[in-house]
Amino acid sequence: MLQFFVDVILRTVDLALIAVALSCVYSLIRFPNIALVQYATAGALIALGLQTLGLPLYLAIVLSCVITGLMAVVLSVLIFEKLLDTSPPLAMVGSLAVSMIFTAVFLVTVGPRPKRFDLEIMAPVRWAGVSITPMQLVSVGLTMGAILLFALLLFRTGLGRSMRATSTNRVLAEATGIPTRKVINGVIVLSGILAALGGISISLKGEMGAQLGFDLLLPIFAAAILGGLGNALGAALGAFTIALAETFVTNVNFGWVVSQDFYFLPASFATIVSFGLLVLILLFRPHGLLVSEVKRV
Amino acid sequence: MKRGMLLAATVSLAAMASAALAEPLKIGAVLSLSGPSATAGEDQRRGIELAVEEINAAGGVLSEPVQLIIEDSGGRVPSALDAAKKLVTVDDVPVVLGEYSSGITIPMGTYVVQEGRIHLNMGSSSGKVRDIGENSFSVIGLDRVSSGYAAQDLYDLGYRKIAVITPNNAFGQGVAQEFNQAFGGLGGEVVSSVLYTEGQTSYRRELQQMDRTQPDAYFYSAYGKEAATINREAFELGLNQTQWYAGYMSMCTSDSQPEYIEGQIGYDLNFIGDNGQAYEAAYQERYGEPFVTSFSGYAYDAAKMIMKAAEHAGSTDPEALRTALTEIGGTGFEGATGTILFDESRQRSKQPYLKQKIVDGKAQAR
Repeated sequence: MLQFFVDVILRTVDLALIAVALSCVYSLIRFPNIALVQYATAGALIALGLQTLGLPLYLAIVLSCVITGLMAVVLSVLIFEKLLDTSPPLAMVGSLAVSMIFTAVFLVTVGPRPKRFDLEIMAPVRWAGVSITPMQLVSVGLTMGAILLFALLLFRTGLGRSMRATSTNRVLAEATGIPTRKVINGVIVLSGILAALGGISISLKGEMGAQLGFDLLLPIFAAAILGGLGNALGAALGAFTIALAETFVTNVNFGWVVSQDFYFLPASFATIVSFGLLVLILLFRPHGLLVSEVKRV
Repeated sequence: MKRGMLLAATVSLAAMASAALAEPLKIGAVLSLSGPSATAGEDQRRGIELAVEEINAAGGVLSEPVQLIIEDSGGRVPSALDAAKKLVTVDDVPVVLGEYSSGITIPMGTYVVQEGRIHLNMGSSSGKVRDIGENSFSVIGLDRVSSGYAAQDLYDLGYRKIAVITPNNAFGQGVAQEFNQAFGGLGGEVVSSVLYTEGQTSYRRELQQMDRTQPDAYFYSAYGKEAATINREAFELGLNQTQWYAGYMSMCTSDSQPEYIEGQIGYDLNFIGDNGQAYEAAYQERYGEPFVTSFSGYAYDAAKMIMKAAEHAGSTDPEALRTALTEIGGTGFEGATGTILFDESRQRSKQPYLKQKIVDGKAQAR
């Protein structure tokens, strides 16, 4: 049982930060940016590159987050906002195209082989039948810390208030003197940082490859929509729900159904669950589990 | 008797005729130079390269230097097929060597054979390789032999409940099925059998499912990079407390960190036969390290064999090559990996294996 809980948390950590970033951007500029999943891969690979250049890991991570954040805002200003002026669906297709270019760039620069950070190999900690590696703990801590900081920023600071105001009604916010342009760019930098951190936290406890982000596209969208697109913290809850469903399908012994001692569904069924949940949510609760001000998905 | 002489006369006449307009022999190869099996693919490339260099230094085949054209499959079926198409249609090679993973070798070989060219398998062991077609040959032993060997070995070591994990492709399905049959036949039990999806970044869920069935040993056979992920996560989950048994040791461990695989046992192809010392020395000298995997020797033998066949046939025509290969393989070809004898369906009939154990990160005989 404890192992089940640990697995759910670890999977939530995989999805949460990127889903939060996706939802957060959506709340301001009303289009789901598919390229965000690639910012996660980029963040991890840049951090690895910096570490290979001889930087200590924590510095490499910080620097990589900054670089990815800046890249996010540059792409947004140069490409996505122009497309968005035409129509949001066009911007979404544009972001798909951009993310395909990203994959190609990763394949050419880093190659198709999976990579790992240069970390010392540490034996797992075993406790009450559960084994956890120190890096998994670091990854969980990093993610929770980032989400907590983000929540504080959103609800306890002036910037957060401006962000929420801009997302609720941009015209009105502008009329009351909020520099909406700056707020939007700030949020996009923040989304890049969150996504990069998401990718890095996945790579810390496992490995990274050119497909890291793209493989997560479906569960992340499912998580963000489940939490109500535009509701940033709802996305974290959405990630937890998806993780719970995925882990349930693959970790529960269905032996009693087929009257065998053990029967597990193949692990690839986890993807089917995110797909299934996504369809169900879109059918029955298109605004997500938590009601938000967003009226369209 | 008379007819035999007539045949011999025609063959030699044909040989003379074609020798007169001999073209340089072109050898095509489709290898996994990138992707999960890149380590083994690169090792195969070394084997072929050494063989071709050796023959070219000695004057080539049919008095012409041999041309070697290598294409990367990226470890994916579509790219492997594209690569084979390019070799056949653009370079017009009479023979294609490759690939590594059975799931790729079978479609790739089938295409090559359909085009009337020769296919030489030097790395795949699925039983289905046998059905590729008339023009396909294997210099490596197929799976029925190896899985039975592993089952017997594990049973003799006293293990009775085994969890099996193999890739979900022609190779993995073959190994799992054959192992299950052989081990069940001996009186043991396969408590769980997982086919993993290739190319994932995590196999945690699969491993946890296996752990739940409480096996007393794990039997796995996985491609380099994927095996590395499996070994790391097994270590992280503490599953390495139970004995791990590797099918094709060098394939399973070539990309893994030594800490993760310490103490694993398994079997591997015997990749050095009685005549292999010269090859081993040449490899060491050229690449400055001992064999990386057990597969370079088979690639070396495949290349040597097709070159010998061309010399023997006096032609680079696929038909003539096929006849020559059948003849050479029928009497036994002395390769670096031992004597290669073809059975009636053109597959290597005998395949010796080695029992190994990982001690201090290196495979040793046990």
